[in-house]
Amino acid sequence: MIRELAALTRRELLRLARNPQAIITSLLLPILYLILFGQAFNIGAFFAGQPGGQTALLLALRGAPTYFSYFSAGMTGFVAVTATLFIGANVIFDRLFGILKRTAASPATPTAIFGSRLIAGMVQPVGLAFLVIGLAVLLGHLGLSGLKVTAPFSLLGTAEVVLAVVIISAMFASLFLAIGFSIEQPQSYFAAVNAINLPVLLTSAALYPWGTMPAWFRDVASYNPVTLAVNVLRENLFQGASAYYPYGPGIYLLGLLAWALVMFVVATLLAGRALAPRD
Amino acid sequence: MTDPIVATDLVKVYSGKVRAVDGVSFSVHEGEMFGFLGPNGAGKTTTVQMLTGNLRLTGGSASVADLDVVRRSHDVKQRIGLVFQESTADPDLTGRENLELAAALFGVPLRTTRSTIDSLLERMQIGDAADRLVKTYSGGMRRRLELAVGIIHSPRVLFLDEPTLGLDPQGRAGFWRYVLELRKDRGMTVFVTTHYLDEADTYCDRIAIIDHGKVVATGTPSELKDRLGGDVVTVRLSNGGGAAVETVLQGLPGVASVTKFEDAYRVKVPKGEELIPRLVEACDRSGIRLAGVSLKRPSLDEVFLEFTGREYREDEGMTATDRAVRIGQVQQAFGRARR
Repeated sequence: MIRELAALTRRELLRLARNPQAIITSLLLPILYLILFGQAFNIGAFFAGQPGGQTALLLALRGAPTYFSYFSAGMTGFVAVTATLFIGANVIFDRLFGILKRTAASPATPTAIFGSRLIAGMVQPVGLAFLVIGLAVLLGHLGLSGLKVTAPFSLLGTAEVVLAVVIISAMFASLFLAIGFSIEQPQSYFAAVNAINLPVLLTSAALYPWGTMPAWFRDVASYNPVTLAVNVLRENLFQGASAYYPYGPGIYLLGLLAWALVMFVVATLLAGRALAPRD
Repeated sequence: MTDPIVATDLVKVYSGKVRAVDGVSFSVHEGEMFGFLGPNGAGKTTTVQMLTGNLRLTGGSASVADLDVVRRSHDVKQRIGLVFQESTADPDLTGRENLELAAALFGVPLRTTRSTIDSLLERMQIGDAADRLVKTYSGGMRRRLELAVGIIHSPRVLFLDEPTLGLDPQGRAGFWRYVLELRKDRGMTVFVTTHYLDEADTYCDRIAIIDHGKVVATGTPSELKDRLGGDVVTVRLSNGGGAAVETVLQGLPGVASVTKFEDAYRVKVPKGEELIPRLVEACDRSGIRLAGVSLKRPSLDEVFLEFTGREYREDEGMTATDRAVRIGQVQQAFGRARR
């Protein structure tokens, strides 16, 4: 089982390394958001010069020093969505090209076949998430709005950030694998993915300042897995931000883990069904 | 030890309607090259998929390498090799990487993996291209790689499903040369489906002819041809013929049987070349106008015609899987229309 899992994961990673266009495409959307939307949408300007403006800004951004800092943490969480959607598409193309049939006809267990895709599906978004953080910081050094990490370095904080990115990647990799294993046509897959992608972003706290959201929207956004992940990031990246959140990062990590487990179970069942002898 | 492949009353019905395999029974002996011959859509691939544990049986039972294919499908996969009709190697990996993956999945011992792969690459004459991506391989190279993947774990039984489909005659001959060598060296039992009659005739020890999901004849190629009773002389008439023609033909010396097939008569006779001058003379004498006379030595084409009542066409029909997919598409379309 371990050898099968390792061999299949190696195959996924080799394919990923040989198809850099998937990595570039995954990065494109967050980068465009950082360079265009993040630079132009300077919400801080509305608060500048007003009495109590800085306090109001901190309240709106839940302790983030600038809107760009708030927003770039959101993009780091959202990259897990854009970078994992190819994993499900690979299942469909592998089915079309007969590769999945070959693997299913071997003694490899469905667990190893699914697990290898899940592991490979997590490697890319985790790497890209930290690339987005690096790029957001770099923009600040180039005279543009940039990510200002104001919290002091801590091992626990770093571990929580890494864990949040890993879990949200696992969750979305599971979701897209579940869709990939249950849909046969690429066009249907991409239609389903588009129906998920944008609503997930738009109902999360990745883009919008928390303080400007209507109460009902906050209720919706609170349960969005992207919000849960970016809450962990923001609490750890910005000094004093925890005061603006009702819970510590551990609670948000638990919520995220619950999402990931549900998706994992659903995806495992669907993969098992797809890889079983056909009727 | 029982025969490595035993199929008993195998039935497969797709979508509750298409009866792709309809009560197929046969057994394959140890070390035998067994051909499963039939046109497209006859049920060959469906049978292979059931025997290899990849498709559920609707009815009947089967054992492969002493294991029940339903209850022990995972273990069956460990003991068999399977070469699909289409290329299933990963085009984004090199030939060597594809074999390394297969070695891991089939549990080839780690200490022998490298030497096994090197030896297979050499044997299949793809050693020079081992570290090239498979997407740069020719069709023949891909087929040889598929074969190497199928036998990397030295299976007891090797299934070849239309292995030479799409290859040119030279590629086909080359592929069979490798299969014959492997079989000789390793003594494995080979089950091959093909719709190329010449391949079945040349390379198989025994053949089962399948048509419309049923096995219509089984035997060695020579046994099957012997059942024809000798040569077949086909007589075509310019005026269509009638009862008188049959009487004239039956009356010729040595004629075993006369059957009407479409617009011609098939005359079975031990030595066709001796019959033809007499046949022409008898017809001339009886006022029967001949449009043509042809002689065929016993061949599997004739065997197929004999047992199915129709001529063999390699490209005929839609496969059972295609039919099932088409039915599914139609059902979906109707479902959408109703909604």
